[in-house]
Amino acid sequence: MRISLVAHVCGLIIRVFGLMFLVPLLVALGYGEYRDALGFLAAAVVTVTIGQSMRLAGGTDAEQAIEGMRRVEGLAVVSLSWLFIAWFAAIPYLWAGLGPIDAMFESMSGLTTTGATVFRDFSQFGRGIFFWRSMTQWLGGMGVIALFVAVLPRLAIGGREIFFAEASGPDDEKVSPQIRRTAALLWRVYAGLTVLQTGALWLAGFSLFDAVCHAFTTLAAAGFSPHPQSIAGYNNPAAEWVIIVFMFLAGANFALQYRALAQRRFNVVLRDEELRAYAGVILLATVALMAILAGTMPAGDNLRTSLFQVLSILTTTGYASVDFQLWNEQAKAVLLGLMFIGGCAGSAGGGPKVVRHVLLAKFTMHELRRTLHPRAILPVKLGGRVVQASVLQGVIVFFLFYLLTFAVCSIIVILLGADILTGISATAATLGNVGPGFGSVGPMGHFADLHPISRIVLTLAMWIGRLEVLTVLVILRPEAWRSGRWSSADRATG
Amino acid sequence: MHIVIVGGGEVGSALARALAADHEVFVIDHEPTVADRFASLDVGFIHGSGTSEEVLARANITDADFLVACTGLDEVNIVACAIANRIASPETICLVSRADFLGTSTHAGLEQFGINRVLWPEAQLAVDIEQVVTAPGAIDAEVFAGGVVRLLEYKLDASSALVAATVGALHLPRGSLIVAVKRGGKLFVPRGATQLAAGDKVILMGTPEAMREVEKLVRPGANRGRQRVTIIGGGDVGLQVAERLEHAGNVDVRIVERGEERGALLAARLTRTLVLNGDGTDLEFLESEDVGQSDVLVCVIDNDERNLLASLLGRQLGVQKIVTRVSRPANLRLFERVGIDVALSARGAAVAAILHQISGGTSSLLAVLEHGEARVLEITVSPAFVPRQLKGIGTPEDAIVAAILRDDHAIVPRGDDRIEPGDRILVFCTRAAATRVQAYFSGTGH
Repeated sequence: MRISLVAHVCGLIIRVFGLMFLVPLLVALGYGEYRDALGFLAAAVVTVTIGQSMRLAGGTDAEQAIEGMRRVEGLAVVSLSWLFIAWFAAIPYLWAGLGPIDAMFESMSGLTTTGATVFRDFSQFGRGIFFWRSMTQWLGGMGVIALFVAVLPRLAIGGREIFFAEASGPDDEKVSPQIRRTAALLWRVYAGLTVLQTGALWLAGFSLFDAVCHAFTTLAAAGFSPHPQSIAGYNNPAAEWVIIVFMFLAGANFALQYRALAQRRFNVVLRDEELRAYAGVILLATVALMAILAGTMPAGDNLRTSLFQVLSILTTTGYASVDFQLWNEQAKAVLLGLMFIGGCAGSAGGGPKVVRHVLLAKFTMHELRRTLHPRAILPVKLGGRVVQASVLQGVIVFFLFYLLTFAVCSIIVILLGADILTGISATAATLGNVGPGFGSVGPMGHFADLHPISRIVLTLAMWIGRLEVLTVLVILRPEAWRSGRWSSADRATG
Repeated sequence: MHIVIVGGGEVGSALARALAADHEVFVIDHEPTVADRFASLDVGFIHGSGTSEEVLARANITDADFLVACTGLDEVNIVACAIANRIASPETICLVSRADFLGTSTHAGLEQFGINRVLWPEAQLAVDIEQVVTAPGAIDAEVFAGGVVRLLEYKLDASSALVAATVGALHLPRGSLIVAVKRGGKLFVPRGATQLAAGDKVILMGTPEAMREVEKLVRPGANRGRQRVTIIGGGDVGLQVAERLEHAGNVDVRIVERGEERGALLAARLTRTLVLNGDGTDLEFLESEDVGQSDVLVCVIDNDERNLLASLLGRQLGVQKIVTRVSRPANLRLFERVGIDVALSARGAAVAAILHQISGGTSSLLAVLEHGEARVLEITVSPAFVPRQLKGIGTPEDAIVAAILRDDHAIVPRGDDRIEPGDRILVFCTRAAATRVQAYFSGTGH
């Protein structure tokens, strides 16, 4: 691993990220929140300066080496830049008075599209901060790095490794053979849907500010709301339906949506196995939830509320149109189960992803069948095509590490004083980038009362969950760094 | 007609034998020893390459009505057709042995080489096998005229409802007809007084609906649930049969393939079929997979000896119906004699298809049954034909009108149905009667 190259590319990404602070800066100025505006300015200056100096530290060697970026370097760039970016994105929260652990938690929760919050009192923060909170989610939804691969010409070729390291799901199907164009097209779909949803919410009666903030966090399957009571606080059924539709889209594969929209290949979309499984899970969970909740509200409300909560948890958005913390244990069990499924591959949703469950289920069925027919050749297929054994192994290893991470983190959180329901649901909700859990971290609650170390652990869980576990765990291995050297020129000298 | 056959292999010699009597036939082969095979036939043998313009000219290609390219090499066949098309204008029929040449788009490509018809005998064989497999209990099955007429052949046992009475007294479903009985090596059209017996082979024709009733009648206890089919041999034919059976539905298919790589390819191509990696001639393996429980065993290994062994093992394990591919047409009878229910030959099927194509005109050959003893002809009745009722035609022992095709549906005629000029009719007849039948319906009928 050439550390200079990693530093250089991280610097490149961080420097551009610094410019993102200008948007909330304008919003804060627009609302006359000059103190917050100063915070955004400071954050912008610090980020751009550090990014630039990292870039320069890499030197010209690194600049020339970008095109030959290796997989491990790509993984390191992605893991580290997500960590760095989360630090820089926390500056405005620090400025607004949050402690360092909380600021980092909120910032990571934003970028990883989790939506878990440590804000106790929403009234102490200005609109600029809330806008920034939603915007970090929007940037993180499609992937910060995918965005920069699309806009930074320097990453046109070397971007390949980092694009796939960040992309969600085991599927690396692309819209275009060119990685840069793929990233640009996907961002275009994403941005287009965001504009559409903003309009729809505005028509449903939201203020423009609320419409933009919610469109940002719906499409990112993220879940921050400027309202302390989330969507429940607006009491607007029309807006809930709008959000239901866009949550569904946010949790579905964007590449697939591009095909449907731009290439008009609807039958390809309808035959997609993952999408069918995704729709099936939604249907099944909604029916189950409606049955459990029957009698507590009118049927129409029950349908809307159940569907909303199912989509919110399954797509890992994390909005609440009611305080589901008050529901009975059976209803909570349905939602907790959904946290372990997640959205589709290539969507903004987090979690283990539907397609991995589909593959795992097929693999398991085939293994059962193999005991009956020991000589059978049983390839696992997806959409009629044979899935390589290496991909299946990847899926199995992913689940192992996902569950291991889940177990370790929840035990730590519980040992540090949380009750079992809170500990388990808080970990499931952060590792899966869902947002709210149950107990004291419910949809109307916050994570601020957890032990400080628990908050740090959950911050890391969000990071690990967003980058799909292995990306992070690989670069935590000393082996990845042992062969590390500053740059490729070192070999000549030493 | 003047016909040039490129390739004197099994297909070529079978064609020459069938065509020599009525047509002027030239056979081209670059192997001089092949000439012996044609010495006893009334055909011209030319030693040389079918891809050579000079050799084709010696076969008088400019006067040829048909050129059939049936060497063992696809590329040679294609080039021979292309050259013949450049220097003359025969109808060209080209045999291929790979799916590549028959794909939806590449087919159009072959037409650009001047090939009028591409035949893939293995694909034809797969169609025939599928027909037989999906008709429970039947030992042969065919469909004609776009599916409006169906033919089934059964071997009767003592419990069959058909042996209960004379043919005239059997209450066969409306729209079905017993067209032939084969008893002791003799094939004849039964009359009302004929009494069927166990051990007879009967051939029935009729509309698809009526034939479904017939199936129930012939095999009342037949299991109408899902059929279990085991295919041994995952070559081109095995793969195609499996693909076709998957589409047919209501069939559980298993395919046994010896090669591991080929097995992986089969598994990738097939969706519902269980692909087993094993040797179809290994008794222990067949037992462990309960092959004996299959309703039908299809042996399509590309090797007659191994096929025969696999089929006999299947019989021993108790499979009810065994369909086997025979590569050498000469082995067909032997296979059936040792107890294999249906032995089919890809080349036999190809020869039938080519003869059908060549005979053209007002009658066309739809099927050759019972190793060439019987055939099904489609005839357009001549305008000069004097209309009359069927009973006025008489009841010969060697031919029967099985169906009249009008407006996309089939009428299975009775004695008082009339045959009009311009009718399209399906006639079942013996080989010997074929020319007489054609002459009868293309004239006034006297």
